[in-house]
This record gives sequence, structure tokens and C-alpha cells, in this order.
Amino acid sequence: MARDRGQGEDYSGPLKRLLLGVLLLCLLGMFLIWRIDSPRVERFRAQVVDRVVPSFDWAMAPVTGAVNILRDFQSYQRMYQQNQDLRRELQQMKAWKEAALQLEQENARLLDLNNVQLDPRLTYVTGVVMADSGSPFRQSVLINVGARDGIMDGWAAMDGLGLVGRISGVGRNTARVILLTDTSSRIPVTIQPSGQRALIIGDNSIAPVVDFVEAPDQVRPGDRVLTSGDGGVFPAGLLVGQLAEDPGGRMRVRISADYERLEFLRVLRSYENERLTDPGRLIAPVILPGSEAPESAPDTAEAAEAENG
Amino acid sequence: MADALLPRAWIMRALYLALCIALLFLHLLPLEHTPPKWAGPDLVMALTFAWAVRRPDYVPVLLVGLVILGLDLMLQRPPGLWAALMVMGTQTLRNRAPSLRDLTFAAEWASVASTMVAITIANRVVLTLLMVDQPPLGLSLMQLLSTLIAYPAVAIVSHALFGVRKRAPGDLDTAGLRS
Repeated sequence: MARDRGQGEDYSGPLKRLLLGVLLLCLLGMFLIWRIDSPRVERFRAQVVDRVVPSFDWAMAPVTGAVNILRDFQSYQRMYQQNQDLRRELQQMKAWKEAALQLEQENARLLDLNNVQLDPRLTYVTGVVMADSGSPFRQSVLINVGARDGIMDGWAAMDGLGLVGRISGVGRNTARVILLTDTSSRIPVTIQPSGQRALIIGDNSIAPVVDFVEAPDQVRPGDRVLTSGDGGVFPAGLLVGQLAEDPGGRMRVRISADYERLEFLRVLRSYENERLTDPGRLIAPVILPGSEAPESAPDTAEAAEAENG
Repeated sequence: MADALLPRAWIMRALYLALCIALLFLHLLPLEHTPPKWAGPDLVMALTFAWAVRRPDYVPVLLVGLVILGLDLMLQRPPGLWAALMVMGTQTLRNRAPSLRDLTFAAEWASVASTMVAITIANRVVLTLLMVDQPPLGLSLMQLLSTLIAYPAVAIVSHALFGVRKRAPGDLDTAGLRS
């Protein structure tokens, strides 16, 4: 019996081994190509995801909805207590709202006094969360807006309150948002009120680490953490969260965005700022005395003046 | 007889593909966005190995390679590496399958466990050598452990529900040979 088997394998063995070899070569080759030229393969991945996930969507939405309803149903049992908590919270919120309104008015007056120009192009596109990363090692979500809606890599994604992550990987109809908690997330921030610059670094825990603080003795738990816009990728001044200290003494951010319920995300359109590259030019007199070609000189001088002004 | 058996193998291959897609679907459901404290079992790995030990002809290397590559792409893993390792692991178990046929489940479990540990370590070593960002070691180990614990359940379900059983001495295999 064993002999029969052995002969059968001999017959088709080389072919199978060849197939196995070619398959392994292809897979490992793909991995190496990914390691060498990551952006191209990642773009391919985004296209694959873009093709596959929307075809799951018809089933995903009802299942997710059903599970959430079940969870909500469990929370009905604690409804009375929750109601009380919410009332108390609402009362506090009203006080804060008053304060915020007053501050807003004051702020507007001050800005007006200083004649400050705010960036008018900070508008947003809202997307629905379709799927998550599917693996416990990666923290990202897929939203249903993509290149079709003008989304570009590197833009910031927020929920109503705070920063959630940044876009990394755009397909036609979908885009991936790398959350702040992912191990590959690095965001430059400012810590207020001391104005210290730092980086927040995701480490697969709910509170990312704050590192590279210039003067660690000037920051303390409870400080507000905002994006700094360093590097020109991110808009500045988006709320990230509050500083906190973990039992090991490391600084971490308690994220303001509600990661328990990510349903709708705002993607901020942040076009790259215009760069000033050329140094200021020499401001020449409008017409040089005795010059032969006065036609072009005033134009350039005026243009230079306009640019400098 | 061979004609009647051939479609069965193809049906089971299609079932394998469908199960993997269903598992992917469950993984992608956007239910939890906070980083987890523990990592669940890699059921696709358990399923593949359980089938490879019992009926290698249900999980041909090409199918395993393509399915895992697809999962690599969808689940944000480095594409290709895990697929290649899974193909190697499946092939190892396939080669061991004839000798495991007469042994107990414990021996099979041990064999599968050693393969899982080997490819997980190989994965980490290659990623470290090429300086790729890696998930925390604790989570990887937890996933490995929970996969090992889940393996008997997957094997039982495969056996009872999907009829993936080891060949009995009197069965005919797909080539029509007595095994």
C-alpha cells in the first residue's frame, strides 16, 4: 500500500514541487518588493481593499448595527442611573457652554482688534467608518470617502471633538485612517500652556506616549495637547487630548476623541501652505536715471513690491 | 467512483475559501476601535492546519497561498511573508500527514503546535532582520497561545460539521488509488 502511494507521489512529485517553489518565490518576492518599494505595493493594497470592502458593506452594516443594538439593549438595564448621570453632566455642560460663549466672543473681539487672518480653507469631508483593521496589532479604520471625494494622504481625521488619526492609503471610494494608537503613528504636538513641542507616539495602548519634550519639567498632567503643524503635514491647533502620567512615570495623552464609538469621521481638507522660497529682492528705483528701456523695469519692480507687500 | 469523488474535493476547497472569507468578514466588522488587551486566535491558521493534517487534498498549496496573501493585503500585514510561511507550514504538515494518521490526537496537536511556533518565530526573525515595525511581543505570544488552545475546537468542528476526517484504510483517494 505504501509503495503504491510512494509511486503516485513520484509521478506527480516534481511538478508539485515546482509549483510549490514558484509559489514561494512569488510570495517572498512580493514581500521583498514591498520592503524595497513600499508605496507602490501599498497603493496596490489600497486598490484591493477599495475593491473588496465595499462589496462586504451590504452585509457588514446590518451585522454591525445588530451587534450595537444588542449592546445598547444591555445598557438599557442601567438606564435610570445613566439618566441621572447625564442630567448632572448636562448641568455642568451648560455652565461650560456659557463660559465658552463668552470666551468665543472675547476671542473674536481680540482677533478683530489684531486683524488676524484665519485660514479660510479648513473645511472638511465627513465619512462613515466601514471597517476596522481586522487585526489586534493594527489600529486603523476604513472610511467610505476616498480619492473620488478629493481625499489625500496625510490629511487629519477628527471626530466631533478631537483628533482621531491621519489618512494613510487612499482608494477610489475608501480611505484608511491610521489611528493615534497605532504603533506607526507619530504626530507633532504642542503642549499648552507651556508651549513645549513634542511628538506623540502610538504604542498599541489607548493612551499614546508623549516623547521628545524639550523641557519635561515644564509640562504637567492635565495640560492640553494640540497638534503643532510642524513638518507642514498637519493643520495646527487641532485638539488631541490631555496630558496624563502613567504609573511608570511616562507622559501619555488621554485622547479626547471617543475611540469607543467611532462612527463618523471628519477629514479636514488641508492643502499645503504656500511656501516662501525666494529671498526678498532688491527694491530698485522705479526708473533708473538715463536708462534706455524703461518699459519692463517698472513692471518687475511693481511685481516685486506686490510680493513683498 | 473517481468522478464522484473529484467534485467532493472541489466542494471542500470552495468551503475552505468560503470559511476564510467569513472569518475575514468577522475580523473587519468595525465593532472595537480601542487597542485590545488580548489577541484572539488566528482561526484561519488553525483551520488550514487542521485540514492539512486530515485531508491535504482539500487545501492545495496554491489555494492556501492565495487565500493567505489576500488576508495579508486586507489585514495590513506585510504582504507575502506570512503567506509564504503558511505555505511552508502546510507543506510540512502535509508531508507528516501519512505518519500522523495512525497516531492519537495529542500527537497531531503537538505536531501542529511545533509548526505554528516555528513559523511565528520565523516571521518575527525575518521582520526583525529587515527592520519592519512589529506588533508587541506579548500580543503575538498571546495570539499564538490562544490559537493553540482553539485548535482542538477547530479540529472537532471540522471533523463533525464539515466531515474533514482522516482517511480510513479502506477509502479511495482522489486518484482512485487505495491508500
